[in-house]
Amino acid sequence: MPFPDVKLANRPLHFLYLCDCSGSMAASGKMQALNQAIRQSLPGMAAVARDNPEARVLVRAVSFADRAAWHIETPTPVDQLEWRDLQAGGITAMGAALQLVAAALQTPPMEVRALPPVLVLISDGQPTDDFAGGLEALRRVPWAQKAVRLAIALGHDADLEVLQRFIGSEPATGGRSPRRPLQAGNATSLAQYIQWASTAVVGAASMPASRVSETPLEPAAGNIPLPDLPPTVLDPTDDVGPVVW
Amino acid sequence: MNWILPEGASLDFEGLAAPLRIVRGLGGGTQGQVYEVELEGERLALKWYLPACIARDAGLERRLAASIRATAPNDAFLWPIALLRASPASRPLIRIREESFGYLMPLRPAAYVGASEHAAGRLAIGLRQVLRACFGLADAFHALHLAGLCYKDVSLGNLFLEPGGGGILICDNDNVAVDGADHGAVLGTPGFMAPEVLLGQARPGADSDLFSLAVLLFRLLTRHDPLKGQMELAIRCLDEPARRRLCGEDPVFIFDPVDARNRPDPIEHAAALITWPIYPRPLQALFEQTFCRGMKQPSRRALTGQWKQELARTLDQRSLCPACGQENFQAAGAPALCWSCGSPLPEPITLALPRGSVLAAPDNELHPHHFDALVGEDLRRPLARVVAHPQEPRRLGLCNLSAAAWSAEAADGRSWPVGPGESCSLAALTRILTPAGPIAVQRPIPPAPAA
Repeated sequence: MPFPDVKLANRPLHFLYLCDCSGSMAASGKMQALNQAIRQSLPGMAAVARDNPEARVLVRAVSFADRAAWHIETPTPVDQLEWRDLQAGGITAMGAALQLVAAALQTPPMEVRALPPVLVLISDGQPTDDFAGGLEALRRVPWAQKAVRLAIALGHDADLEVLQRFIGSEPATGGRSPRRPLQAGNATSLAQYIQWASTAVVGAASMPASRVSETPLEPAAGNIPLPDLPPTVLDPTDDVGPVVW
Repeated sequence: MNWILPEGASLDFEGLAAPLRIVRGLGGGTQGQVYEVELEGERLALKWYLPACIARDAGLERRLAASIRATAPNDAFLWPIALLRASPASRPLIRIREESFGYLMPLRPAAYVGASEHAAGRLAIGLRQVLRACFGLADAFHALHLAGLCYKDVSLGNLFLEPGGGGILICDNDNVAVDGADHGAVLGTPGFMAPEVLLGQARPGADSDLFSLAVLLFRLLTRHDPLKGQMELAIRCLDEPARRRLCGEDPVFIFDPVDARNRPDPIEHAAALITWPIYPRPLQALFEQTFCRGMKQPSRRALTGQWKQELARTLDQRSLCPACGQENFQAAGAPALCWSCGSPLPEPITLALPRGSVLAAPDNELHPHHFDALVGEDLRRPLARVVAHPQEPRRLGLCNLSAAAWSAEAADGRSWPVGPGESCSLAALTRILTPAGPIAVQRPIPPAPAA
């Protein structure tokens, strides 16, 4: 006879991409690389969601260029997600994107109870609108304060200072850290970071991974211990560093 | 996935006479990546560590070497077989610059699925199989603890179930160490960690394993978390500080008989409210022992031997509701209603044994521990199994799974031999003599006719 038809209670985990679609993203295939990286990451993300029955992983995406707009407005279960390609063209209304996300993280429409949301900001340039105003609006929303905020800098023209302000205060120790903008110099490393954010970070936010004593518990934004960044896996076809950007 | 080891390639490792072929990547996590590999025609699994994991855990290589020497406590563990480092010739094929290593272990058969599939309600599994899996888990930890070892990081993530028979496999055995001796790096998985470990007051060991084991058993039996009740509902954002409060600073068992602050919510936590009453009182009492007194006093937690005994007894009390067919666990002599449909459960035929008794319900089994006080509970080698008659399913029989013949006796003194593999009907018999010991067939006394 079957086990009683009951299942573990779960909480929503909102995962939001904020994607820069300004004109510069059209250069050197960056826009295509981002579309590919996100599309390729979805099966892995769905697998992590499956393995974490405590979490109901829901994905949304905002694109920003001349203005900010929802690319995926309905919080969508990851296994039902179909990624339509983003198109590049225009300037960089990053502040407006933050305003849009801030409104979405208000309760309602946000649930009363949830897991910490995950916000991933991807940009290759500098905001052309009121970034400070957008960030301020975001910071006032309790769910945004609780959110895990990650940023990926595409190429060397990205404004690292702006991305750091989005993440929060910089860690005291030097070196690569998820609390600093992740610098993607080529399509391979972009795909790695997107995969890491959509699997390891989603896993950590939904059901904390096994803990080791030396895990540095970073203060400030550290309401979720972040997993190690992906190791630098040498690309067998291209071991000469950034060739595209 | 960016695989560190090249799929399809054959690599040479120090200490291995033959090259190892990397068949395919199976998965990856924060610690490392796991591959299916082939060594001289045999399929095995290889876990390859990420450099960050090795850097953080100085004792890892030493612990693994000690485990490989010690061999597995029992066959439920996917135990490390050999530690591998790439030979100088194969080193350039490994796609990370930092020095790294891995270990070989048995490959998990495809029939075993992650225990989180059960927690999520996606697995077709019965109560008998879940209880057998729980017994297997308690048995595995019993063997581990008796060997002086502790596991340290029990969670749903390193347990696999075989839903057909209730078999289990435990993976990620790389934190196993001698209890109290090796201060490895791992603390455990939040939600399964004992409160004293979560709060940093103690290092993980056999006592904290007992807490984590009880959490895992509770989650398998109820599909719910023992600490998620009203106090969890009061938390808006379930982040790290909130988990610390809920599971470390002020942990309250949802069925604590005294402290009612954390009772399950009838809607949000329905799973716990439906499943908990299914189980016999003595099994519930072991959870209360571990999650009430044992919450703050690690030495008071239910031991692996107690879990084994009570889980085996629960399986012995299994009966089927004649109205809906659902599995119930009936205490002897007590009138009972089916938990699923509410129908009264008739008193079943009982097989009275030298040690304990087993209700006659299809698939219930008699084991050596039912006859011999000196052997521990073990479900691996049943001597007999209750079977339904192939043409008349309501007629129950007992199948001889042993290698020796039995003698089945009826009330009028006649007797029949029952050879290995044969079954005898329980309806006509009063006693079965077996080389292991006697089996008395006790039928309920029919109610006295109304005056």
